[in-house]
This record gives sequence, structure tokens and C-alpha cells, in this order.
Amino acid sequence: MDYTPQNQKDKKQMLESIGIGNIDELFKIIPNHLKAKDLNISGGKTEQELLKYFLNIASKNKKLISFRGAGIYDHFIPSLVGEIVGRSEFWTAYTPYQSEASQGTLQAVFEYQSLICALTGMDTSNASLYDGATATAEAVLLALRVSSKNRILISSGVHPEYIQTVKTYLENSKAKIEIISLSDNGRLDKNTVDSLIDNTTAAVVIQSPNYFGVVEDMDALSSSIKSKNSLFVAIVNPLSLGVFKAPGEYSADIAVGEGQVLGSSMSAGGATFGFMAVKKSLEWKMPGRIVGQTTDRDGRRGFVLTLQSREQHIRREKATSNICTNASLNALAACVFLSGWGNVGFSNLAEINISKARYAFTKIKSLDGFKAKFETETFFNEFVIETSKNIKKINKVLLKNNILGPLDLSNAGDSFKNCLLFCVTEQRDKAEIDSLVELLTKI
Amino acid sequence: MEKLLNELSSECQPAYGVECDVAINAQVPENLKRSIPLGLPNIAENDLLRHFTNLSRKNYALSTVFYPLGSCTMKYNPLINERIARNDAFNNVHPYQPIEAIQGVLEVMYELEKDLCEVAGMDTFSLQQAAGAHGELAGLLVIAKYFKSIKQKRRKIIVPDSAHGTNPASAAFAGFEIVLLKSEPDGSISLDKLKEVLTPEVAAMMLTVPNTLGVFEKNIDEISKLVHDNGSLLYYDGANLNAVMGIVRPGDMGFDVMHINLHKTFSTPHGCGGPGSGPIGVKSFLETFLPVPRVEKKKDKYVLNYKKSKSIGKLKAFFGNFPVILKAYAYVKALGGKGLKNVSEQAVLNANYMLAKFKDKINIPAGNICMHEFVLSPKTLFKNDIRTIDIAKRLLDYGYYAPTIYFPLIVDEAIMIEPTETESKETLDKFINVVNKIILEEFCRDPQKLKDAPINTPVRRLNEVEAARKPILKWE
Repeated sequence: MDYTPQNQKDKKQMLESIGIGNIDELFKIIPNHLKAKDLNISGGKTEQELLKYFLNIASKNKKLISFRGAGIYDHFIPSLVGEIVGRSEFWTAYTPYQSEASQGTLQAVFEYQSLICALTGMDTSNASLYDGATATAEAVLLALRVSSKNRILISSGVHPEYIQTVKTYLENSKAKIEIISLSDNGRLDKNTVDSLIDNTTAAVVIQSPNYFGVVEDMDALSSSIKSKNSLFVAIVNPLSLGVFKAPGEYSADIAVGEGQVLGSSMSAGGATFGFMAVKKSLEWKMPGRIVGQTTDRDGRRGFVLTLQSREQHIRREKATSNICTNASLNALAACVFLSGWGNVGFSNLAEINISKARYAFTKIKSLDGFKAKFETETFFNEFVIETSKNIKKINKVLLKNNILGPLDLSNAGDSFKNCLLFCVTEQRDKAEIDSLVELLTKI
Repeated sequence: MEKLLNELSSECQPAYGVECDVAINAQVPENLKRSIPLGLPNIAENDLLRHFTNLSRKNYALSTVFYPLGSCTMKYNPLINERIARNDAFNNVHPYQPIEAIQGVLEVMYELEKDLCEVAGMDTFSLQQAAGAHGELAGLLVIAKYFKSIKQKRRKIIVPDSAHGTNPASAAFAGFEIVLLKSEPDGSISLDKLKEVLTPEVAAMMLTVPNTLGVFEKNIDEISKLVHDNGSLLYYDGANLNAVMGIVRPGDMGFDVMHINLHKTFSTPHGCGGPGSGPIGVKSFLETFLPVPRVEKKKDKYVLNYKKSKSIGKLKAFFGNFPVILKAYAYVKALGGKGLKNVSEQAVLNANYMLAKFKDKINIPAGNICMHEFVLSPKTLFKNDIRTIDIAKRLLDYGYYAPTIYFPLIVDEAIMIEPTETESKETLDKFINVVNKIILEEFCRDPQKLKDAPINTPVRRLNEVEAARKPILKWE
């Protein structure tokens, strides 16, 4: 099966029109000694065979009840999201270069940008980036560009894979990255941050809720950062903004984050999307595509790609980023996801996450051999538990019971030895949480 | 005109809701609590479904029209791939699941890497990158790290002026200086000009083969020799790989690093702009620098190896855009080696058939034989102030997506056409007739029709200048 429709008669006619006898003549320009041998790749499967083949491969993945987050989360995805991103008018369309023939995509992106701005309290959003990690790296590059300074402070509460991605992106730049340690209560101490910022600091990058689930006091941290004329890059979980302070409220300059929680499945960690929203003054410096509203010749409202002189296809090596293809379909999923809850429903969703996590937290920390790592801190849907039990054994037992247990934090630094990062979203019902607790009791 | 979501918002019962079977107990301290309104719309499910369905109908998509978008390889996206990728056993998988619980995911990645090596003639692949430009960045970082490891200071990357904009942008992003190489009128590389810019500071040269004018680089052997004799590396932009699968392999041509766009050559959909996937392939001496984790096979078990001390690190979180990788693998298993070769042959045949029908009527700067795409420059035919943009907009009226226009930059008023192998002769014939009708008849007889175009689209020509001058980037 190779999805080519031409029959022999068509091919013959086409060759005649070209004025050649066989297809090989079209490749005459390629030196003979470079011509490939037959490719050793199995295939030729029919649709029916493919289905069977992949069902078998899929069966090698285990479907688990998840109590694990750390950047990718099991959330409810309403049917409408699947219906819309499953429409071939969206998934088979290209980047909307011909605006008159792409108004569906363009209006949806405009709506997406508006929703991201509403949620984050920021002025301007782009059309999406690849994921939360690359959005963070792009935010750092944006800060370096506009500030002409070269020092970047990153909280150690930022997702470790995001920090690694930032380091990769900055590998050959002059920028210096320094990591700010969290204090014993699992979040950043304002005075520590204050003392580290100097006049060469381009930006301070802080995640809230941080990697360990703790909600940072972004307001207090912001005032330190602002007073030193550094830019504030806030990495936020968009779902948590139903309850917690929005980046616009605490004057963040750039807000970024992972969009998977807004209607994309976990899919082994991708494809997801990253969002980026900035203050008005930074909009011309932003990476990625942006859609704007305009009018057509008859005065009707319409939408186009705009501020394009920032982009690689116009500005080439002077572009604000090399990004071209982004994660449009996942951003569309977010657009459909965000438009169906209403304000009350969306806040409620966030509150349910907190409540279920808190229910689990209260039960687990009171078990023998388990205690809260950050007893009094505020969290969203993740929390750290310290245990005297064997962590490998815990997760082994849970896996046997089809539960994806908490993340082992022993790689997250000395202070997290014997620590577990639990995640409880609205997807987990009381019975599932209770049976998790029951299993932990027996270990 | 379709209303915006905020205009649809009312006091109705919103579309979604979840119940909670534990007591609501949020306990958020005042200093952490959101105090500004959320500003989300309130819309019923029925109305939301109509809204987004109506929006979708304003798109020209590959599933509704012929999409001869040069350089983008808008080939048919097989439905079986989508069906496979919709399986919960692939979707409801957490990236940090224990290795034994994601063997299916790792098997797909491992096997696709292997098959891509065979197609490309490279020794190993990394699938982590989320798009072509992301692959370019990764490949260039690998090159930088390699020269660092052998303690050579090479700060420059040669990029021909016919290259995609992402090439110079990615090179700059990776910390290199760009040396622009002027290409010949057919987009090919002059060996003399290359020699002039090939200084000891050059780390690598980026090449698109066939080039963006659809011409195979006939001097590739000599280019490869010159570049390597200079101690530099050769980078293959895989955007045009659809022309040469099973015919010639980048690795055999001397390329050291390359990327592939799975969302072009390997049939995965473009999703109105993404997600894509940009695997990079390298020769074995560069393997040690690839992003982590690497998928490896130990006995019968797939494992993830994060312990690669020379790796450039991570390009994004987790492993890559897995659903895209999965669909590409399904495509490879449908076609096999033979099918892939047939794809390239048909893609090249389709393009040449179209070219043959145009060549006597419209100027073609790169000659009468092409690979999988070709570029028209109709400038000499222009009358009555008509330009390429007008032809493109008029094509929309006839129910076609427009070809790529004004690219490559080295061709005046360029129209870049890539039919792909999945279009029938009948589709091509109809399109050829329409283009000829526009250029040969409407140009003279009805120029106003072109200036007024499009008239059959949901909106008429949009004012891009106004959009950029007074940006409105969200609803009020």
C-alpha cells in the first residue's frame, strides 16, 4: 500500500508528455555510483494488517491509573475537543499562509491567543511553541535579547528537563545560567532571590506550582525582581490559574508553560504545546507566529498572520526565533477546552484538583512511615511525601495493581532522598485514592 | 461571519463540567489567590460544536482540495495512521512510566530510527525534535559540540541564498555566523564560489538536495569533497527528501548530519501548523553528541539511556512528538522499502508531467527536468499590473490552495509547485488547465478578475498592512 493512485496507462501517458521512455530518465542527473541499493525495510502491509500489527505493539504499553505528574498530567478531555481536532479540515490543513483560505485556523488561533491572555492576565500571546520546555528556553532568549544582559537565574523548582533544555539552547551563547536553590520549605526565599539579582541579571525564571508541587509567592518574588530591573519569566500551570494568581497580576514580563493540561492527551510526553504570553512592550520581540485581526476589501472582519517581520521566512538569521512549524492542533485543542467551562466551571475544576490532592495528602501523610515534606505549604495537585519505606518496592507493588505510583525524587538532589512526588487530578475518584492508600498501608 | 467565542458567551449552562466525590477543600491563602476575573466564555456544548465546525469549514484543507504547496509535501495523510494513533494504549501513557510499562512506545521509536537510517544512509537517528527547524537546531548544536570536542574553533556555517529561512535562523540560534553563498540561477552551487567562502573557520555547509528550485545538485560529489577536505561537515536539509527515497541516500552523498520532516515525507498531517517532528540522523562519529535519552535495546527489552556525557542535552521535555513518530512508523510499515522508492518515483513523475505542460508557456528558471517540485517565474507574461499574488488568490477561487509563492527568494515572482505522489493524473490535468486559463486568458481578457480575487472564499483579500500597523491580537 503506497497511496499512489496512478495506473500503468496514466504513467505511460505522463512519460509520453514529458518525452521520455521510462522513469529512470528523470534521475539521470544523479551520479550512478551514488544510486541506492534496494532499501532493506520491511513493509507492504495492508490496512487490516497494520491495524493488527499496531494493536499488538500497543498491548506492550500498560494502561495505568496515574498518580504521577511531573510535567505531564492525566486530565479529563471533553468529547468536543476530540471531535474538533479530529475534523480533517483542521488536521490536514497547512500553516495558514493563504489567509482567505484559512479563516478557520486563523480565527481559532486568534481566539486561542485571546483565551491565553485572559487566563494569564498578560497582554499578548503567540500562536504556540513546541512545549513547556522550549517555551521556557525561548522566554530566556527573549529576555537576553531585550535586556542586553547576560545572566539568567533559574529556580531549582523549575522542571529539571526544562532547565536542561534551556542549557542546551544557550550552549553557545555568552549567557550564564545560575540555579537558585529552594529553601527548606520547598519554595524560593525572597531574600535569597533578592541577594542574587545584580545589574547583569537579564531575567529570573520561576515556576509555580514548582516541580515539587509547591505554589510560590510570586507577588513577593516579583517585587524583588522588578526593583532590580530584571525581567520576570513565570512558568505556570494554566489549569492552576483557575484559582491561583495570574502572571499579569504580579507583573510578570513573560508567562510560559506547558499546554498539555488543556485538552491534550499524555501521549508519552508529546505532542503537546507550549504557550507564551508577554507584556505589550515585548510583543514585537516575541518568537513564533501571531495572528491579528483586520478587515477584507468589503470591510468584513478577518484574520491574518501578522508581525511577520520577526520571523525566519522574512528576517532569516536576524529572526527572533527559528521556529516555523509549531503545535497548532494542540493549541486548537486548548482553545476548545478553554471555551466550554465558563469562569465558575474552570475555577471549580482547579478547586477539585486541589481538593482531591489534599484528600490524598491528608491520608497518606498520616500513614506509618510516610510524612509530609512541606507540611504547611500550598499546593495544586502535586505534593511531596517523605518515606522510610523502600521506594522501589512501593512502586513495584502499585504497578502490580495497575497503578502508576508517585515519582521517585531521589535524583532531584540530596534533600529529596526518600521522597515521592504524588499527583492527584480530577480524574482520580475517591475509591481509587482510597485503594492507593490501602496498598501503601500494606507495604 | 462567524462570531468570536466572547461574542457567543451567555449566561447559559456551559458545555463541560466535572463532579467531585470528595469534599471541596481548596484552602488557598489570600496572597496566592487569583483576584482578577478569568474572562473565559460561557458557551453551551451545542453552540460550541457549531462554532468550531463552522470555523473548520472556512479552511481549505488537504482533505477538501488539491494543495500544491511547494516545499511542504502536502501528500495524503493516511487515515489508518490516525486510527492507530487514536488508541488509548498509546495516548494514555505517561512518559515517566516504568520502562516495562512503555515497551510499545519504545519499540516504535527504536524501529522507526532503524528504518530512517536505512532510508537516509545514516548510522543513527534521534527522534526528539518537534519540527524541522528544531531538527536543524539540534543538528547544528551537534556540529558545534563535535568541533569543541576536537578543540577546533569553527564559528561559521555556509548557507546558500536559495535555502529555507529556517537554515540561517537555526544556524544563528545555535551560535554560528552565517556565510551566505550566492547560488546559480537554477539554485545549484558553483564550485568556484564555494571555494571562495570555504575558510578554516567554516564548521559546516547546509544544503537542500534537491534544492528549493527542484534541481538535484549535480556537483554533490565535488562539494562533499571540498567541504570535507576543508575539515568541515555537510548538513542535509531533509525538506525535499520525498524526491529521492530509495534512489539516492544523503549518507552516501557524504552528508554527516541531516534532519527529516516526518510531517512532510512520512505522511503525517500538518495539523494547521503542527505538531510536526524533525528527527536528526548522523554518522557514527557524531552519535555520542545526540540528545538524551537514547532508546536502546538490551536483549529483548527496550531501555532509555540518559547517561551520555557528551550529549548536547535535551531539545525538549521527554522523548519527542510520539503520535507523529507513531504515524510515520505506520506509514513506513505500509510502504516498506519498495513502496518508499515508488513514492519518490511517482512524486518526481507527477512534478515533471506538470512541468512539461507548463514549460512552453511559462518561464522556468531551472530547466525542463525537475525532481519532486519546480518553480515558475511568470513575470515575463505579466500584463495589466498583475502579479504572482493575484494568480495565487485567483487559484483560491477555482477551489485550489495556492502554491508556495515568492519563494525561493532568488526567483522573481516565484510560484513553487509540488504535486506529491498521491495526486491522480486527473487532478493534475484539471489544475494545469486552470493555471493556463488564468495566465493565458484571464491575464489579458479579464485582469480585473485577478485583482478582485478571491471572491469565492469566506472573506475577500485581507488588509495585512493594517493588521501589522495597528495590531489587534486578541478580542477586546
